[in-house]
Amino acid sequence: MTFWEEFLPALMSGVATTLKMLAIAMPASVALGILLGTLRVYGDRISSTVATAIVVTFRGFPLMVTLLILFFGLADFKIYLTPYWAAVLGFILCSGSYQSEYVRGAIRSIDIGQSLAARAIGMTKLQEVLYIILPQAIRRALPGISNELIYMIKYSSLAFVVGVQEMFAISKSFNYRYFRPIETFMTLAIIYLIMTTVATVGFKWLENKLRIPGLEISGR
Amino acid sequence: MGKEVVLRAEDIHKSYGRLRVLRGVTFDIRRGETKVIAGPSGAGKSTLLRCLNLLTMPDKGKVWLEDVELTNPSVDINKMRQRIGFVFQEFNLFHHLTALDNVMIGLTKVKKLPKEEALRRAKEALLTVHITEDLWHKYPAQLSGGQKQRVAIARALAMNPLIILYDEPTSALDPQLVGEVLQVMKELARKGVTGLVVTHEIGFALEVADEIMFMYDGIILEKGPPNEVVFSPKHEATKKFFEKIGRLYGERR
Repeated sequence: MTFWEEFLPALMSGVATTLKMLAIAMPASVALGILLGTLRVYGDRISSTVATAIVVTFRGFPLMVTLLILFFGLADFKIYLTPYWAAVLGFILCSGSYQSEYVRGAIRSIDIGQSLAARAIGMTKLQEVLYIILPQAIRRALPGISNELIYMIKYSSLAFVVGVQEMFAISKSFNYRYFRPIETFMTLAIIYLIMTTVATVGFKWLENKLRIPGLEISGR
Repeated sequence: MGKEVVLRAEDIHKSYGRLRVLRGVTFDIRRGETKVIAGPSGAGKSTLLRCLNLLTMPDKGKVWLEDVELTNPSVDINKMRQRIGFVFQEFNLFHHLTALDNVMIGLTKVKKLPKEEALRRAKEALLTVHITEDLWHKYPAQLSGGQKQRVAIARALAMNPLIILYDEPTSALDPQLVGEVLQVMKELARKGVTGLVVTHEIGFALEVADEIMFMYDGIILEKGPPNEVVFSPKHEATKKFFEKIGRLYGERR
């Protein structure tokens, strides 16, 4: 078998593993980011303190260290995560923490009149946040959230440290065996590039779809 | 007037730090009445209005809506606010919702009406303020100031309020758009929708108000039928104010 005949099928199985991680980690990290960002603005003292602690911790830890702690460290406490779930959990916590800051900033940028009008028609705080504030804030946070998710595609390669057989881990082991770095890593890089480009186009589409008519700048 | 009191404020006080914005305001308003609050900037008009639905919490004093004391901490204020319409100077339409959805959201999410019922009432309210079908699916940013404020009035009206509080509803509008909003407010007043209006539009007050309350320095300095308060006021401050307003606004109707 030639190098390519062996490498490509293996790489494809790695691509599938990477996509399986992202399929869970991306939406879950967005949900966590929205939750943490919202709690930091609207939560009571306890919940906002807990949310702040989570954000500070997982933005402060290097992701690689977080992954090692989740996989090896938790094992000391008899919590055994599979490599896949340790990686996915690490991505969710890291990306969600970063995303929460975009959400928090976006919530803060919504003018107070929106809240006053919501309260004036009798909305509870929760209704105000769910129906009035978040729909607007999430739109404003979307470019930042997209940015974080594109990062995530790339740093999903860090899952190799806990032994996930994703596309980077597979490429690395092929390069050890055959020492053909240009072929292996350029192929890998192109696949990452395709993924990030598809994501960029997707987020752009979503931003357009959620655009509020009349709020865009039409001049130059 | 034998009609029952809809809203009553009793001895309302509010300070911000050492600044005493409201220094004991008492009044009531009966079903079907329209009352106008006028007075110079800083007199406490907007603060008073916000104290009535507790968007601002008064330091002291009581507010009743019919026979429920809103200032009683055990009262569910969210529930009571459904019955107090509030129209803001800056419109405050929900930016992410169409005109129709702005009116509907209170009906579906707060009153939890079924969708068809909410839709019917929202459309009815929009038509009442002369927002025609071609505008129902426009977003606030696509509407003129006058249209926005009329949608905001419809949003308040659709909740079937006992009273609508208007906080300088025409002050943020271009002069040529003021008329359409005042027209809608007059029509509502004539239909018997109870209203309390903070405004400098003396023409509006003279035409439809049952009473003008002139606020000065945190109190109601004088009140009475619009003609008396505007044209033969008892206090020097009242006289000065209406002379100045008269020059600025003319007798716009």
